[in-house]
Amino acid sequence: MSKFWKIASHEYSRHVFRRRFLLALFSVPLIMVFMVVLIFLIIRMDSNPTPIGYIDHSGLLVKAIPQPAVKWPERTVPILPYTDETKAKADLQAGKLQAYYIIPADYLQSGQAQEIYLKEPKGIATQQFDAFLSANLLANQPAEVAQRILDGNNLIVQSADKSREASKDRFINILLPILAGILFIVGMSTSSGYLMQAVVEEKENRTMEIMVTSVSPGQLMSGKVIADIAIGVTQLLVWALFIVLALIIGKNFIPSLGGLKFSGEMIAIIAAVMVPAFIMISGLMAAIGATVSEGSEGQQIMGLFTIPIWLPYIFIALFIQNPNSPLAIVMSFFPLTAPMTVALRLGFTTIPTWQLLISVIILVLSAIGSVWLAGRAFRLGMLRYGQRLHWKEIFSHQRV
Amino acid sequence: MHHSSTWFTMKSYTYSCLIIPERIMFHMPTVEISHISKSFGALKAVDDVSFDVEKGEIFGLLGPNGAGKTTAIRVLLDIFKPEHGSVSILGGPMTESKKDRIGYMPEERGMYQDIPLDSCLVYLGSLKGLAPAEVQRRISGYLQRFDLASSRHKKVKELSKGMQQKAQLITTLIHEPELVIIDEPFSGLDPINTQMVKDLLREQRDKGVTILMSTHQMHQVEELCDRIVLIDHGRTVLYGRLDEIRRQFSGHAVIVRTPDKLPALPGVEHVEQHNSSAYRLNLAQSTNTQDVLRNLVDRGIQVDQFEIAAPTLDEIFIRVVQKDDQELGETA
Repeated sequence: MSKFWKIASHEYSRHVFRRRFLLALFSVPLIMVFMVVLIFLIIRMDSNPTPIGYIDHSGLLVKAIPQPAVKWPERTVPILPYTDETKAKADLQAGKLQAYYIIPADYLQSGQAQEIYLKEPKGIATQQFDAFLSANLLANQPAEVAQRILDGNNLIVQSADKSREASKDRFINILLPILAGILFIVGMSTSSGYLMQAVVEEKENRTMEIMVTSVSPGQLMSGKVIADIAIGVTQLLVWALFIVLALIIGKNFIPSLGGLKFSGEMIAIIAAVMVPAFIMISGLMAAIGATVSEGSEGQQIMGLFTIPIWLPYIFIALFIQNPNSPLAIVMSFFPLTAPMTVALRLGFTTIPTWQLLISVIILVLSAIGSVWLAGRAFRLGMLRYGQRLHWKEIFSHQRV
Repeated sequence: MHHSSTWFTMKSYTYSCLIIPERIMFHMPTVEISHISKSFGALKAVDDVSFDVEKGEIFGLLGPNGAGKTTAIRVLLDIFKPEHGSVSILGGPMTESKKDRIGYMPEERGMYQDIPLDSCLVYLGSLKGLAPAEVQRRISGYLQRFDLASSRHKKVKELSKGMQQKAQLITTLIHEPELVIIDEPFSGLDPINTQMVKDLLREQRDKGVTILMSTHQMHQVEELCDRIVLIDHGRTVLYGRLDEIRRQFSGHAVIVRTPDKLPALPGVEHVEQHNSSAYRLNLAQSTNTQDVLRNLVDRGIQVDQFEIAAPTLDEIFIRVVQKDDQELGETA
């Protein structure tokens, strides 16, 4: 194994198997799992299994077909027929019913029914009674017509050039590039943070001098950057795995998740923007690590770079309104704002190819520039113990 | 330049005789530093320094704090590029593969603090081109010898300063380097470990390893080094064989240990008390030391000890550095 790979594998395992990293890695999906469990619990608690009663004066429910089955975690609320209101009222007061409905004789004309309760039932009980009524109203219709009516409308909105479309069932496709962009940026910000820390640490614990007399500064730096990218990818893969799992499970409960489509074009654009962005940010973080003398100082400077990276998120409302506004275009060309801006715009518009090309070219050039900067800062700052390297020194003619 | 002239000589010999170039190769110094200068802004850290380190010797790089020793070492190791001058190490300019033939222990000791000692040693050893299994095999022996075997699974930060120092020494020697560059090898060590390190350095030298040692501890230099260079304010102020340097600074005096009172002796200009039982006799330029001894014996003086008054390296160091400071002050 070459020294470069030894450094990369050492850096990777040193960070990935740290308790702090594992905690950060699994905390995001764990929070997601916790939230899903919480939602399930709320649904379960909201679906109070105390029966609902009804008194039918319309004759619609004489030979009532049973209520449609409900999906877990929702619990079935039994629906009981009553012949007279006195009995229903007594049961309501005794707590045997949570509510009862009176279906008037003119229900088919008026579409109105009365709901009587002591404490307003939760939405789930009402929804189940609605489903029961709808099923009985459509009982005489052919099965496919009944299903069509129950499914309701699905409007598909298309862009004029038909290149993009949105619908109720596919709204998740708008969110997908945004979600992917955010995940990518969170992943690369945190892993680049580790890279910066690793460089500062080697200055703080004085291993730097030993390292540069065993390997070349180029090998050392590129080994660290590769490890950093591998750490970021590990993070993204773990998160993506949890998201896919969540989508597979969630599809059973949220039908619109079923409309999720991964387009090759979208993945290619995100990769073309994010890969050079990742290298650019890694380079910048390594350069910061090489210039500062303490980790805490590095964190502060890192914060300054994080602001422009997340800045487009603040303008999300503007991007929704006009994803091709001059502001959006300019932010797609500025290297630090480009990754997030492109990801956001991708959800709402078809970004013209020339804009994407310019954005990617600027990012690739920035990545090259930042790696050069990191290399120079590293050579100049690697042995500055307890002393900051000034940026003007990096751009000076000093021989390294 | 020195390096190119050596090459030129070698070439001319190659054409005239086939044996002589081998002799030249054999005598080619392991390290040749030729007129190097390095500045940091306005500060001239190293100013026209030259010295050679011969194969198989322990060479002392001496100088007061801030003299430019560490910068000179860093230039020699190609960590810093010099503005002027050239460096030849193990027969030419520094290359990546040569790094595996050099062991370096910097003044600023550095180990990964958060990982177990053996993992740290295996990693640093493997960066010197050794297979991890081979490093494992070698570190076991070293850990035993350095009395660190019971701490091999402890995190580095849990070890004492002295233990970390010894661990650092293992990383310097584990790959059996041809050249060892070691900055302040005895700092932080107790007398037992100091002795062990001294034995180790001698053992390495006997195996043919070239050692460049930078230290402030003059008695260690006197004990270990064959030749030295003393730099001050970035410049070479003293360079050569240790015994020759001492002779050069010895002046013309003898130390005589005797319980008797010394009479006036011919050729002796001045007598001063050296310590409670010895005198320092400053001699006239023309006086032969053998004549002084003969005169003492002829006069029935009991001579317990008679030696040429050679200054200690400490004294030479102070004298040279003070003189240099004075000259620089005058120039300024």
